[in-house]
Amino acid sequence: MSDVPAVEVKGLVKEFQTSFRGPKLRAVDDVSLTIEPGEVYGLIGPNGSGKSTTMKALLGLLKPTQGRCSIFGKDSLKVDSRNDVGFLPENPYFYKHLSGAETIKFYGKLCGMRGAKLKQRVEEMLELVGLEDARNRRLGGYSKGMLQRIGLAQALVQDPRLVILDEPTAGVDPVGSREIRDLIIELKNRGITVFLCSHLLEQVQEVCDKVGIINGGKMVREGRLDDLISVQSRTEMVLENASPELLDHIRTLVDVTHGVDLISEGHPRTTLESLFLKETRQKGTHEHGKVLKTKKRRNRVSK
Amino acid sequence: MSASSSKTSFFSPRRVIIIAQSTITQLVRMKVFYFLLPIAVLFVGIQFFEAPWYSAAEISQPEQELIMHKNLCLGTMMLFSSLFAIVSTALLIPRDIEDRTLYTILCKPVPRLDYLVGKLIGVMAVIAIAMLVMDLILVITLHFRTESLLGLLETLLIEKKWPDHLIEKKLSEVASHGPTMTLQFAVLAYFLKASVVAAIALLISTFSTSTLFTIASSAMIWIIGAAQSIARDGLFDRGGLAEDSGAIGKVIATLVSLVFPDFQLFDSVANAATRAAAITQTDLLNLCGLSFFYLAIYVVLSWFIFSDKEF
Repeated sequence: MSDVPAVEVKGLVKEFQTSFRGPKLRAVDDVSLTIEPGEVYGLIGPNGSGKSTTMKALLGLLKPTQGRCSIFGKDSLKVDSRNDVGFLPENPYFYKHLSGAETIKFYGKLCGMRGAKLKQRVEEMLELVGLEDARNRRLGGYSKGMLQRIGLAQALVQDPRLVILDEPTAGVDPVGSREIRDLIIELKNRGITVFLCSHLLEQVQEVCDKVGIINGGKMVREGRLDDLISVQSRTEMVLENASPELLDHIRTLVDVTHGVDLISEGHPRTTLESLFLKETRQKGTHEHGKVLKTKKRRNRVSK
Repeated sequence: MSASSSKTSFFSPRRVIIIAQSTITQLVRMKVFYFLLPIAVLFVGIQFFEAPWYSAAEISQPEQELIMHKNLCLGTMMLFSSLFAIVSTALLIPRDIEDRTLYTILCKPVPRLDYLVGKLIGVMAVIAIAMLVMDLILVITLHFRTESLLGLLETLLIEKKWPDHLIEKKLSEVASHGPTMTLQFAVLAYFLKASVVAAIALLISTFSTSTLFTIASSAMIWIIGAAQSIARDGLFDRGGLAEDSGAIGKVIATLVSLVFPDFQLFDSVANAATRAAAITQTDLLNLCGLSFFYLAIYVVLSWFIFSDKEF
């Protein structure tokens, strides 16, 4: 792996002219961040905090007022930098007149792919996102979740080193959301850098190595997730099949130890998401009966 | 993993073709060719239309019948191709921006110039296909009308006991107004005119915020382009305001002719072809050169604006 950061944003400032003679709106104010190759970085913040503007600047869709963005050392305003990037916008819309397979093929061609390699890649991507059965259906007839999947497929078609996902689970049901989470983890396992923008904090917490919190255009906190959220003065133990006697013994030990307090104890709860997934998977009622084929994917997509 | 070191060329004909193909597919699947059906019916209908002054017994000016036939058909072709060029081009880019499809395209290694040229070529290709179909229908209907007129004329002239060499000369004159190669120059002129109009719509759509504005502005420029030579002639060549306005008027006229395209050459070549007048090679070269000049100017201006556009 090279020493060049996958993403480097240095002192990014972006101002917009709101009206002809009115004051400028500073959407992003001196934001800096670095993502090393292979990391999963989550950028979180409330609506209007500057997340999308930062992403657009990184993709060359906006010109920074000040500062600079680079992707694997290449200025993000240069077209070359986009050879390494796959982007999934929030609520993506593609050409409705194209079918799923044609859409992936179109984006593959734009990336310079052709012939048998492209054909094979289209098949791999359709299988990856579980849309083989809908391959010839036009996108006008796709559901929101299916559009999100085809969006992922086009983002990954050229096998990029960096994947930028803007609210990848927006409008996707919990099963689809979990599958996208699994996919992000798998991308990470393959050494692909992921830059993720999401409102779903739980999801960010599950997959990200590093997190940046942006508010009012400024980066208010940034760092490794473990460092940011762990409470160093507290320890959590989860025991399986602990007898009442053992629990009493532990409580006694805590009581007699000076300076140690038992804050809380109880039975851990499952999450609503886990319960939902368990119930819906048992009944097999997921949309179109499709799931991302994570096991097969490992064998077929890896190079 | 992808080859990160690959260099993206400044302009790639291959990428342009990919975008053009996608544009053609988009327009075809929007069922734009359905417009050809009423036009075909109209062309066939024109074949049976006779001018009020026409009299089969006299046939004093049979070529006028053919000229009228060509005028109506070519006028329809010109109107259809220009309107189609404006509307389709005005719809494509704003829709891509509105639907955010453009994000996903520009986030791939696609230079903005490739995108613009691809869109323009796609529209031009669809116009070319539509005009070829209309041209084919025109040629077929004109052929039958010419043959019918020639048959009728020959019979009448024999009845009037015209000498053979004069009959042959007259028939040859009338036949020259039929589906000849010269007619194709009119179709070419209107295709080039529609292409320039599409390039204007492309330029406006790069800074316009609405499809309606793009369509209205492009239509206005189209009208100015068609009328500016007439206005210029009226103002300067035939007296008019020229003497009063002097230098200021000339500056304004020059500015107008620089900003707006002048469609006079396109129309005059097409009119000459309709009248079966001779079109020189120089005329054709001028026509192609002027079209290329306008296309290049408008594409470069579009690129200049679009390359700095933020999304």
